[in-house]
Amino acid sequence: MTGLTATRLSVGYGADPVLSDLDFTVPEGRFTAVIGPNGCGKSTLVKSLSRVLTAEPSMVQLEGKPLQKLKPKLLAQRIALLPQHPVVPDGVTVAGLVARGRYPYHRPLKQWSADDPQAIAQALEDTGMTAFADFPIDELSGGQRQRAWLAMVLAQQTQYVLLDEPTSFLDISHQIEVLRLCRQITANGRTVLAVLHDLNQAARYADQLVVMHRGSIVAQGAPHDILTTELITDVFGMESMIGSDPWSGTPMVVPVTD
Amino acid sequence: MTVQMFHVGEHIALSYRRRSVLIWTAMTALILSLAAATLMLGKLGLSPADFVDILSGEASTATEFVLQRVRGPRVLIAIMAGAAFGLSGALFQNVTRNPLGSPDVLGLAAGAGAGVAVASLVPWAIPAPIGALAGAGSAIGLVILSTGSGLSSTSKVIISGIAVAAIATAVTQFVVTATLRDEASRLAAYLVGSLNSRDMGQAGLIAVTLVLAFPVILWLAPRLQLMELGDELTTSLGGKATTTRTQAILVAVVLAAMAVAVAGPIAFVALMSPHAARMLTRTSGPNLVGSALTGAMLMVLADLAVQQIPLVEDLPVGIITAGFGGLFLGYLLLTEFRKGQS
Repeated sequence: MTGLTATRLSVGYGADPVLSDLDFTVPEGRFTAVIGPNGCGKSTLVKSLSRVLTAEPSMVQLEGKPLQKLKPKLLAQRIALLPQHPVVPDGVTVAGLVARGRYPYHRPLKQWSADDPQAIAQALEDTGMTAFADFPIDELSGGQRQRAWLAMVLAQQTQYVLLDEPTSFLDISHQIEVLRLCRQITANGRTVLAVLHDLNQAARYADQLVVMHRGSIVAQGAPHDILTTELITDVFGMESMIGSDPWSGTPMVVPVTD
Repeated sequence: MTVQMFHVGEHIALSYRRRSVLIWTAMTALILSLAAATLMLGKLGLSPADFVDILSGEASTATEFVLQRVRGPRVLIAIMAGAAFGLSGALFQNVTRNPLGSPDVLGLAAGAGAGVAVASLVPWAIPAPIGALAGAGSAIGLVILSTGSGLSSTSKVIISGIAVAAIATAVTQFVVTATLRDEASRLAAYLVGSLNSRDMGQAGLIAVTLVLAFPVILWLAPRLQLMELGDELTTSLGGKATTTRTQAILVAVVLAAMAVAVAGPIAFVALMSPHAARMLTRTSGPNLVGSALTGAMLMVLADLAVQQIPLVEDLPVGIITAGFGGLFLGYLLLTEFRKGQS
């Protein structure tokens, strides 16, 4: 078994499980977008693939090993997760925040590793935040703040980067910036799995789409191959037409309604 | 405000900020001067010549008496109990992510006080520290149980803290009315927090507590820094959020209980110290050293005031801290409400 896999993953209690019997292998080296209506289990899937939500040991495994069996810090060197609402600490600077992404490489009395300066500088550069390194987070705009969080996750230097709605609450130019960054991350061989809301942005920037509905994956593949009007009707309960993006030629979902 | 690293060999590297270290040094100097003033001022004050005698081991009996029985234990306890309160407040505020989450607001200090009072009732005399620990543990347990959501909701925690503190006060008052008059007035003074007639045994107790807590806190500190980012990020960065919170609260309860055992439930030092420390050092992070030093400074200052300032002379030190701390709590509540509204 290779990669990060979910096998018969079920999460939730009672008669109404959030995820039921879901099988999924995170596509390696790709930018994969998880889409679906509200409450379909997108966030739950992404959280279950890190250790933030604990599933049964048999259900989520990294290279055939249950996540719980791996030491927390070793796991954090492999899988990073940016939650939807991270807490901004009082008075922390961008560089200070990004440095916290290096925690998995430290020990209690050794809060430093030889790769820290390079990893932090690289993360700041990749997110275009180098000039803001000494700025307090609370003085940044929403878009800059999100880039700072992404820089922190990048400094973690993990193979898997999981992002829970990284573009929500950003204006459109910042949304595009984040999506381009996701693509850039995969250019370095890393894997990105992000929950997105905008179908057209997902189709344009992601290599792969994972479409979820009521706790199951109903379609998975390249946007061109899987986005059909039937799928949109089934999943979102909305009539639509599918055209092509005038700039990129990727599929573009247009609602057909008054 | 860049972070510096302090290296010892290959295996130890601790981060610090230069500005923080400068402020810590200045605070330590100030605490030592206040302590010296406490020893030197007033009727029983020691002269510089006495200090020379003490250092050369030729002090007179009177000087030794003042140092070892009267002023010495008092100033040592003020410094160390203050530091313990400050640390306890910093730990609680960090893991509850609640600027008001301190042993005072949570009812923990009142609980510890009640524990000491109840312990004094029992004929076979339960030692005060054990009473304090039991009281503090029960208080925090009640708060955690009664919110129904642990310590995660700021407002629920504060409201249950008020209730638990009220219960603890009721227990305490019952004990005070049930005991003999002499004992009752001694107990009443202790219960507002007093540093009168302390002895070296009590100074030793709080010293041992701090010495034992130090390595644990050092070991927890990097994870406490992560806790500020929220439970999800703490866990995904490998910091085990729930375990860290439990460990930090255990240490904080022991520190607060022992401080209460030796100095009484002194109000608001634990609440004020982390905030004052953050304003001084202007850093993020749990700010443990700064909070400990600020707590020590506040206590020594308050204790010096009740020994030397005419109007407040001979008041229990807890009344001074309650006065200032009450104002500070009002200010914090106001800023929190404003934040909540914006």
